[in-house]
Amino acid sequence: MKYYLGIDIGSVSTNVIAMDKDYNVCFNQYIRANGQPLESVKKGMTKLKEAIGCSDDDILGIGTTGSGRELAGVLVGADVIKNEITAHATATLHFHPDASTIFEIGGQDSKIIILQDGMVTDFAMNTVCAAGTGSFLDHQAERLGVPIEHFGELALTAEKDVRIAGRCTVFAESDMIAKQQYGFSKAEIIKGLCTALVRNYINNLARAKKLKPPFIFQGGVAANVGIRKAFEDEVGEKVIIPKYFNVMGAIGSAILAKEYIEENNIEKPNFKGFEQLELEFKPTSFECNGCSNMCEVIRVISSDNEVLAVWGDKCGKYAGTSKASQTSGR
Amino acid sequence: MKIGIPRALLFQYYYPLWRSLFERLGFEIVVSDESTKPLVQKGIAVTVPEICFPIKIYNGHVINLMEKGVDYIFCPRFVHIEKDYWFCPKYIGLPELVEMSVPGSNVLVAEIDCQREDTADPKCYAPVAKKLGIPMSKMKTALKGAAEDFAKFREYCHLGLTLDEAAKVMFEGASVEDFILPEYDTTIGLIGYIYNVYDPFISMNIIKKLRELKVNVITFDMLDARQLLKYRNNCTRPIFWTFPDKLYQSASVMIKDLQVQGIIHITAFGCGPDSIVGKEIEHDFADSGVPFMTLRIDEHTGESHLQTRIEAFTDMIKRKIRKVKEVREVNEVKR
Repeated sequence: MKYYLGIDIGSVSTNVIAMDKDYNVCFNQYIRANGQPLESVKKGMTKLKEAIGCSDDDILGIGTTGSGRELAGVLVGADVIKNEITAHATATLHFHPDASTIFEIGGQDSKIIILQDGMVTDFAMNTVCAAGTGSFLDHQAERLGVPIEHFGELALTAEKDVRIAGRCTVFAESDMIAKQQYGFSKAEIIKGLCTALVRNYINNLARAKKLKPPFIFQGGVAANVGIRKAFEDEVGEKVIIPKYFNVMGAIGSAILAKEYIEENNIEKPNFKGFEQLELEFKPTSFECNGCSNMCEVIRVISSDNEVLAVWGDKCGKYAGTSKASQTSGR
Repeated sequence: MKIGIPRALLFQYYYPLWRSLFERLGFEIVVSDESTKPLVQKGIAVTVPEICFPIKIYNGHVINLMEKGVDYIFCPRFVHIEKDYWFCPKYIGLPELVEMSVPGSNVLVAEIDCQREDTADPKCYAPVAKKLGIPMSKMKTALKGAAEDFAKFREYCHLGLTLDEAAKVMFEGASVEDFILPEYDTTIGLIGYIYNVYDPFISMNIIKKLRELKVNVITFDMLDARQLLKYRNNCTRPIFWTFPDKLYQSASVMIKDLQVQGIIHITAFGCGPDSIVGKEIEHDFADSGVPFMTLRIDEHTGESHLQTRIEAFTDMIKRKIRKVKEVREVNEVKR
């Protein structure tokens, strides 16, 4: 069997998928990165190799996406390194070609994508703060002592509505404490929180946009039935959760890699091999004193002191010195 | 006698006028350095926290000029350059704001309250003449010449040059041909105030980044001031701030006449007028089919945040163009 791989490196999770030539997803894994995205890429790739029993030659191409896409792309040797919007939309359109609106909520960002005739026509991403994203829910779940996995179900059992201020985590927290003191149950508070999150999301991202069905909800937070219900109440329509909702970015990047490889008739993908992933590499940072910008430059160095990737220099003095700058295909 | 000009706020737009004016009057001018982290930090340290980022940067430039040992800081007070259209209150109070934040800054204030885009009305510069001890007749002559230079500068901009490029043609012997770019299939209107677009510390070189993605970029300053009036009467709700109105009108012209495929609005966090103008553009042109994206910048903005968004935006447009072309080709084959 031959496969295309997709890797999505987000702030909270790292997702790895393998897909065959006919777009069947043969392997998918959602890994909580716990602040170690590089380690989780390694872990994910190793698991993938074991699970589907493939060798280096079976890999036809790799795509990476997410905020860590550049680094991961260098490590594995990606053929395509794409932004999250394009990757998510590509995957959604594959499974739901008629989709009109995508709600995507991840660990630290949220986006809305508007589609028409199978094309992205508009999108928005959250700007300054992470209120209303997965991290916010995680934090509140912890505070209430409810495992995040049961958060949504609990919300559905609420009997009454209670309004929680969801504009900001700090305000939400003090509001929740106040409502708890009035005697509202945990379930009701959680339901209020779900509604607040959706209200915040719609206010921030969907203003002045015409939202049309079919609605698709994806990203890690789509696992939460409470949020899904809140979305359905908000738009007054059914909201579809795709089968692979939490790895859509990774699937999209695999599809983009396939398109790229096939369109350009590439016979040898950039993939560096599974063995390469076992090598050690570590990030280092220093403050450049070359000029008064004093950029914080981040470098990833392999065990044999080869510079794999460089970020953060405004002038590009170091960017050209890494292997990242020599990778092609985007 | 050295006159310091802060490289901030409206600098790139009016620099040719100011330079020409002071040179004609026989003064040496000193421009502050490009914005850097330490320069900006100094500005942040002395400015009230609530105020917008661009003003903090302005104070950083004032400090930079004082370190260079200038005699005056040229700090015009912009009130009107057109009847019924006002500048943001921060411009109106700028000289006082600078004096209070940076003690010892000897501000040289032009009182810009006139009805001319080039501000070259002698009455606006009378306080400058008085403070520098030069006769008004000399000031008038110098202003006339400076206004002609400004007009020439604006002509270069109208050819599609950025303000930086036009200034290079004016002062550094570059030719217009040096800046002629290949025509790409994608054109994006980049709307934002002078400082948001041209201060590399704020904009993170967004024009360069877009051009690297093979996009033609149009900014409001490439449009003629008269061209901007074309649809003003159709505006449902007049915007009474000068530059915010220019942004709105330029979006209107770009969408209706220049066939841009997308609009990017770059704004500083906490900007009052932008919170209205940005939304108004988004609402009023929602049916035009031209996608609109806001990029919000503040002291903590990372470059990857900006890169991801402009990449996604450009990708969306390019993929759309490709798909439409494919569909057209398929239909032609069928026929």
